Amino acid sequence: MTPELALEIVELTVEHLLLVGVSMAIAIAVAVPTGILLTRRTQLQKWMIGFANVMQTVPSLALFGFLIPIPLLGGIGKQTAIVALVLYALLPILRNTLAGILGVDRAVRESAIAMGMTGRQLLWEVELPLAARMILAGVRVATVTTIGTATIAAAIGGGGLGVFIFRGLASVDTTQILAGAVPAAFIALLADGGLGWAEKKLSPV
Amino acid sequence: MRPLVSFRNVSCRLSGKDVLRGMSLDVEAGETLVLLGRSGSGKTTALKLVNALLQPSAGEVRVEGMPTAAWDAIRLRRRIGYVIQEAGLFPHFTVEQNVGLVPRLEGWPAEKIRDRVHALLEQVGLPPAQFAARYPRELSGGQRQRVGVARALAADPPLLLFDEPFGAVDPVTRVELQRQFLALRREIGKTAIFVTHDVREALLVATRIALLHDGRLAVLATPAEFLRAQGEEVRAFLACLDTQVTGC
Ligand SMILES: Nc1ncnc2c1ncn2[C@@H]1O[C@H](COP(=O)(O)OP(=O)(O)OP(=O)(O)O)[C@@H](O)[C@H]1O
Ligand SMILES: [Mg+2]
Repeated sequence: MTPELALEIVELTVEHLLLVGVSMAIAIAVAVPTGILLTRRTQLQKWMIGFANVMQTVPSLALFGFLIPIPLLGGIGKQTAIVALVLYALLPILRNTLAGILGVDRAVRESAIAMGMTGRQLLWEVELPLAARMILAGVRVATVTTIGTATIAAAIGGGGLGVFIFRGLASVDTTQILAGAVPAAFIALLADGGLGWAEKKLSPV
Repeated sequence: MRPLVSFRNVSCRLSGKDVLRGMSLDVEAGETLVLLGRSGSGKTTALKLVNALLQPSAGEVRVEGMPTAAWDAIRLRRRIGYVIQEAGLFPHFTVEQNVGLVPRLEGWPAEKIRDRVHALLEQVGLPPAQFAARYPRELSGGQRQRVGVARALAADPPLLLFDEPFGAVDPVTRVELQRQFLALRREIGKTAIFVTHDVREALLVATRIALLHDGRLAVLATPAEFLRAQGEEVRAFLACLDTQVTGC
């Protein structure tokens, strides 16, 4: 490996991590509160889950393509890539937030209310702690997927490790493909292990 | 004296089913009123009307003279200790945290909570040194129910609701818990509404027994009167008393 290649791997890995980090931060910030809200609005649940489901079924390359012509959100570059990655990451987090909170034992919820807990206390002291493990499992799945999907962001100028892969595909250069694929796989494994560990740590019961 | 709890011609309809029908009943301060009835007769529903987990579809339930609908629900519930049928302990809280919940919500200082919790655990027969730091999953069913009782008593509420608090235990422990309950009651002299489907338990702990049948109040009587009362449902319950005595 040439020093130039090594340097580029470091640069693109950092860029990749940034893409994934920003996307996940936005996805969590959107999906967790939405999931909580949905536990209080049963009619809306089907709609939102349906929307997130549809988003997941759109092939990723096509989704990136669809976003390009959209004003404000779209265009060529990182911003479009992040929008697409967020859309993908929403579903697992949303679904697990909902399942985690709705899965809290009915007797536990009822006794919390009967003890005179306010809605806010019920959420923060009972529902969220008991759902935490489930929510984190959703975050883990979403993160691992996003790390892979983010390689496609390079197709629309999003940068990241996908740059190597697309370059390698264009010039039929295995070294370049590996320079993108190996670090991406490595990051995914690390994220999976780290978040899996946190899940066990966090487990209250 | 004004009754602490008063049901006034209360009906409760849940998902199209009339669970309670025209129930009228006063609970006087200091008494232990037992709600007795078969499974599905509406006992739990009647309790939930008292702490505003449910609202009547007709009539009203008054607590300290005020309809439950007019109370601030949070304030009302903090004044009522509730032992729910399935214990309902928080699995992510220790025994100590579970019992100290309402005092903490009420903003008691930490030290006072700790003293109170330990005293209560002693009282219900769970030495704090051994049990305070445990999680509910590390307790037996009967121990969990006792933690539930301690939790209900924690903030010293003037009214207690017990929903089959000794349901999940063997007959021997059950008698032990009933004795503890009676001793506790003598000590603290609180008003309690106590749900059970066990007629022996009802006769033992009640100052008065209200027999529910299919959502209606069938009989309201002291234990002594209850033994002589007429009516099919009373007879049905007294009959199981006989079978228990003859050792079935
Ligand atoms: N939320 C609800 N929606 C519809 N029906 C209900 C609801 N809650 C209770 N019921 C019905 O109301 C009736 C009385 O229920 P309740 O829980 O008050 O009975 P219970 O006397 O406490 O019985 P058990 O001894 O089995 O606990 C039952 O037939 C039950 O199926
Ligand atoms: Mg019941």
